Amino acid sequence: MRNVIVLLITMMALTMQGHNTKIKMSGTQTDTKKGQQVTIVNFEKLESILKKNDNKLYVVNFWATWCKPCVMELPEFMEVNKAYEHNPNFKMILVSLDLAKEAESDVKPFLIKHKIEADVYLLDDNKRMNQWIPAVDSHWSGAIPATVLYKNGKKLDFKESKLSKNELEQLIQKHL
Amino acid sequence: MNWNNLFKNIYKTNSMKKTGLIFCTILLMSSIVTVNAKKMETKVDYKGYKVGDTATDFKLKNVDNKLVSLSDYKDAKGFIVVFTCNHCPYAKAYENRIIGLNHKYAPKGYPVIAINPNDPKAEPQDSFEGMQQRAKEKGFTFPYLFDAGQKVYPQYGAKRTPHVFVLQKVNGKNVVKYIGAIDDNYSDENDVSNKYVENAVDALLSNKTIAVTSTVAIGCSIKAL
Repeated sequence: MRNVIVLLITMMALTMQGHNTKIKMSGTQTDTKKGQQVTIVNFEKLESILKKNDNKLYVVNFWATWCKPCVMELPEFMEVNKAYEHNPNFKMILVSLDLAKEAESDVKPFLIKHKIEADVYLLDDNKRMNQWIPAVDSHWSGAIPATVLYKNGKKLDFKESKLSKNELEQLIQKHL
Repeated sequence: MNWNNLFKNIYKTNSMKKTGLIFCTILLMSSIVTVNAKKMETKVDYKGYKVGDTATDFKLKNVDNKLVSLSDYKDAKGFIVVFTCNHCPYAKAYENRIIGLNHKYAPKGYPVIAINPNDPKAEPQDSFEGMQQRAKEKGFTFPYLFDAGQKVYPQYGAKRTPHVFVLQKVNGKNVVKYIGAIDDNYSDENDVSNKYVENAVDALLSNKTIAVTSTVAIGCSIKAL
């Protein structure tokens, strides 16, 4: 009798473990699909990704792994992204300003560690900052974090500061 | 929360001696008020200088504990004022080039004056002691001043580190001639195509028009509470 109980408990434990593993695995797959990719782009390529005539609201955040206020606001950006990502008219994009040579060594491990689940591009266009910064917004001094909202190729809002979750949600609600 | 009313209450309390209950409430709220008041202070919308404006002088503490003002430099023709700091990777990437600028232009009448605009409460690495250490390590040959209370940088309109303001003395006034980045490649000083600051100072030294008077570049936001 005791053996039967032990066997039953073991079976139950194994089944539960299997179930958990399954969930974890699917979670990891999602991470791989979304968060762990860093696509290195120049400004023209980036613009072609952000300025599409597809009726989507693009919430674009310029950040870097070394930028403390950027890193501080990212968890709330991710919360907001989770809340809106199923909306077909919403897309959050993170633009890393880390060095391209640090994409594998610094940026990817950061994305995994901080569970970043948004599309991540690394803008590798250092020498033309003085051209593309004013192209994003004429008032941008170049300080990060900075967040810009586009829809149908049109810039709707620009914020050169750290945003709270509330401020970000208000911006999205205003333009979605 | 209506802050205006709260401030009004504070003033009323001072003048009319309101009840102890209100006073206690204010005491409880005071820490929050202090933080928010500071935030409001830094959010005052200083537009900062444009090229052609007259820059203010200042009296700020150098890493050697002496106070430094622009007016101390009787023989200078102008200044390369650099808002920079200890912690920011962009600022660090430019340290050698800032040293190089002072080496090249101080003898020609345009010394570098570096100012750390950051509040150490917001970024501990940018403490005055940290500045002293950094200046020693790097062998800074120019003043590295602490913007105590974060009073100077908003007047200039510095937004990030590093952020340069080239000033020229004109009839005793320090006129802003260039605002922006040091050059066009922070990550590789051997692959620079436009030395913005050098070009600006060279133009001033040879009485020519500065071709590019303002530029923007990615940098660390200034850390103030």
